[in-house]
Amino acid sequence: MRIGMPHMGNLYIPFKALFQRLGIDYVIPPVNNLYTLSLGVKHSPEGLCIPFKLTLGNLIEAAELGADTLLMVAGTGTCRLGYYAKIQERILHDLGYNIEMIQLGVSEYKLFGLLGMIKRLSNNAPWTKIISAFRFGLTKLNAIDKIERAVQKVRAVERIKGTANQLFTKAIKAIDKADDYNTLKKVEIDYINQLNQVARDTQAQPLIVGITGEFYVLLEPFSNLDVESELGKLGVEVRRTTFISEWTKFSLFLNPLGMNEKARIHKAALPYLKRDIGGDGWESIGEKVLHAKEYDGLIHLAPFTCMPEIVAQNIMPSTKENIPVLTILCDEQVAKSGMLTRLEAFVDLLERKRQVRTNKRQQITV
Amino acid sequence: MIRVGIPRALLYYQYYPMWKTFFEELGSQVVISPLTTQAMLSQGSSRVVADTCLPVKVFLGHVLSLVEKCDYIFIPAIRSVKRRAYNCSKFLGLPDMTKAVIPESPPILDIDIDINKGKRDLYQSIYQLGRHFTWNPFKVRQASMAAWQIYLDYQKLISSHRLTPPQAIERILGTPETQLEKHSSHLIPTQDTIAIIGHPYLLYDEYINHRLIHRLEQAHNKVLTPEMLTAKELESATARLVSKAYWTYEEEVVGAGQHYLASEADGVIGVMAFGCGPDSVMMDMVRQQANRLKTTAFMSLTLEEHTAEAGVVTRLEAFLDMIHRRKRRQVEVCV
Repeated sequence: MRIGMPHMGNLYIPFKALFQRLGIDYVIPPVNNLYTLSLGVKHSPEGLCIPFKLTLGNLIEAAELGADTLLMVAGTGTCRLGYYAKIQERILHDLGYNIEMIQLGVSEYKLFGLLGMIKRLSNNAPWTKIISAFRFGLTKLNAIDKIERAVQKVRAVERIKGTANQLFTKAIKAIDKADDYNTLKKVEIDYINQLNQVARDTQAQPLIVGITGEFYVLLEPFSNLDVESELGKLGVEVRRTTFISEWTKFSLFLNPLGMNEKARIHKAALPYLKRDIGGDGWESIGEKVLHAKEYDGLIHLAPFTCMPEIVAQNIMPSTKENIPVLTILCDEQVAKSGMLTRLEAFVDLLERKRQVRTNKRQQITV
Repeated sequence: MIRVGIPRALLYYQYYPMWKTFFEELGSQVVISPLTTQAMLSQGSSRVVADTCLPVKVFLGHVLSLVEKCDYIFIPAIRSVKRRAYNCSKFLGLPDMTKAVIPESPPILDIDIDINKGKRDLYQSIYQLGRHFTWNPFKVRQASMAAWQIYLDYQKLISSHRLTPPQAIERILGTPETQLEKHSSHLIPTQDTIAIIGHPYLLYDEYINHRLIHRLEQAHNKVLTPEMLTAKELESATARLVSKAYWTYEEEVVGAGQHYLASEADGVIGVMAFGCGPDSVMMDMVRQQANRLKTTAFMSLTLEEHTAEAGVVTRLEAFLDMIHRRKRRQVEVCV
C-alpha cells in the first residue's frame, strides 16, 4: 500500500514524519506547479473552485507515482468541499487509476477518528507508537508555523528583500530532515535567531494588513500567487490568524473540551451574519470586525465561485468597523502582474490613509 | 393589517402556498412581488458583487420592488429540510445578505430551518416567526397546521396532474400566475419529448430563461419538468447516480436528469445559473451520465444576466434539429 495526499502549504512535512515513524509508504506528489494546475483544470468540471482543481492535480500526480491509497478531506457541511473526495474518486476511476480513496472527516470524527484511521493505515501498529508518531508530526507542524510567524514579521522590514523567504525555505528543509525532538528544537531556535539577526530597516513603520478568507487559498501560496511575500516586498506586515497548527490544536484537542477559539470571531460577526453559512464565510466577516482597530487594511482571499465567501464579500462593506478590504479571487486565470498592480494600489491607498490620519493628529496637537 | 412581503424568486416556487396560508391564517396580508423584469434584475445586480449568482441577483431585485409596499419581508434561512443534506450557503446567508446590501428594506422575518437539529427546534422557530403577529401559541399552531396541509395538497396537485408550479399555485390559490396565452398546438401532433431539468426558480422564471418552456411548446414539443416526477421516482433515480444527495434541492437536477436520460425523453436540457456551486457539480454528473449512456441527447444551458435571447434561441434550434435528424436516421436504419 502506498499513500498519496494532496498538498496544502507545508502540511506534507508533518505527515511525512508521521508516516515514516510508522513505516507507512508515503509518496509526496511534486509541490504545486503549473503542470499540476493544468492537470487539475483539464479533468475537473469547469465551475469548481481552485482548491478542487489543485488537489485533483496532486492526486493524479500521486497516482502516477504509484500511490494506490489516496487521502482527501471530506465531511458534511454546506460548502462543496465535503463532496470533493467523492467526485475526485469518480474522476480518478474514470481516468483508469485503480485507487482507493480514504475520506478524512476530521471535523466530524475529531481526534479519535483521525487516530483510528492512522491505525488502520499502519496495519494495526500499537497505540503507543501511533501516538508518539502523531505527537512528533504535531511538533514539526508547530515548529513550521512558529517560524512562519517570525518570517511574516521580518519580511516587512528586512533590508535585502527575500532574505527571510530564503531562510524560511532552508528552515523547512532542516525541519523536514530533523529526526528527533532535540534536533527539531535546535533547528527551531537556530532559525528564529537567524531571522532575528536579519538586517532590518529600523526606521520603518510597516503597515499592518490582515489576511483572511478561505482556508485552502490562505494556506497554499501557489494558489494565491504568494500574496504574503509580495506584500512583504511592498513593506507590509502581514497578520494571519489561520494556521494549520492553530486549527489542529483547536479542532482536535480543545473543541471537544468545549473551548472554541472561533467563538470570539463568531460573536464579533453576529450583528452582520447570524449563522454559520459553511466554509469560512462567518470567520471572514468576524475577522474584519474584530481586528478593525488593529489592522490598516484587510485582504480577503477567496476562490472563484466560492459560495460562502461571496456571501461574506457582499456583507463586508456594510459593517460599522470600517477598514479597507481588497478581495482577491483566486483561480487558474489570475495573472501575477494583475494581482501585483492591485496590491500596489491597495498599499498606496493605505499609506495615504495613514498620512491623512497622522496629519490630522498633528493639527489637533498644534 | 400587517403586510408581509414575499419575493417571487428562489424558494417561492416550492413553498409559496404554504407561506401565504401561514401568514394569512395569522391575520396578515401577503404582498407578492411582480414577475421579473429587466429593471428588477439590473437593480438587484447593482447591489451585489459581480460573482453573485443570477438567482440571488433576481431575488434582490424582487426584494427591492417590495420595499415600501410591506411592513415585513419574509426570508427564511433554510439550512436543511432533510437529514444530513444541506443547502447552498447563499440560501443560508440570504437574510443577512439582503439586510447588508439593501439597508432600506423593511424588517426581515428570518427563521432558521434546520431539520438536523430536531423537531423541537423547528417548532420553536415557527413559534418565533408567529410571535411577530400573535402571542398565542395555539393560533400559531393552527396556522402552521393549515399551512402544512396546503403544502401537501400543493405537492399532490403537481405530481398527480403533472402541472408546473406556477400552474399549481394558480389553481390552489386561485390567483393568476402565468402570462402565457394558450396556443393551439394541440391540432398538430407533438414532435419530440424534451425534458428540462434544473431548479424551479430557473425553469419557471420566464424572464431569466427567455421563455424556454414556451418556445419548446411552440415548436410542437412535449415538455417534461422535474416536478412531474413523484418524490419516490426522483429519490430512486438520484440514488442510482450519486448514491446520496449531498445538497437539499439537487434531486430535481440529478434525479430528474438520470430519470429522463434513461427513459421517456428524446432530449434533455439542463438549465443552470453561471457560478452556481451545487449545480456545477451536479449538472456535471448528469452530463457525464449522458456521455456514458449515449442514448439521449443532452444540452446544458448556462444562464446569466448577459445571456442573450438570440443565443438561447440559436442553441435551442440547433439542439432540436439535431434530435430531429437523429430520429430520422434511426427510422431510416430501421427501414
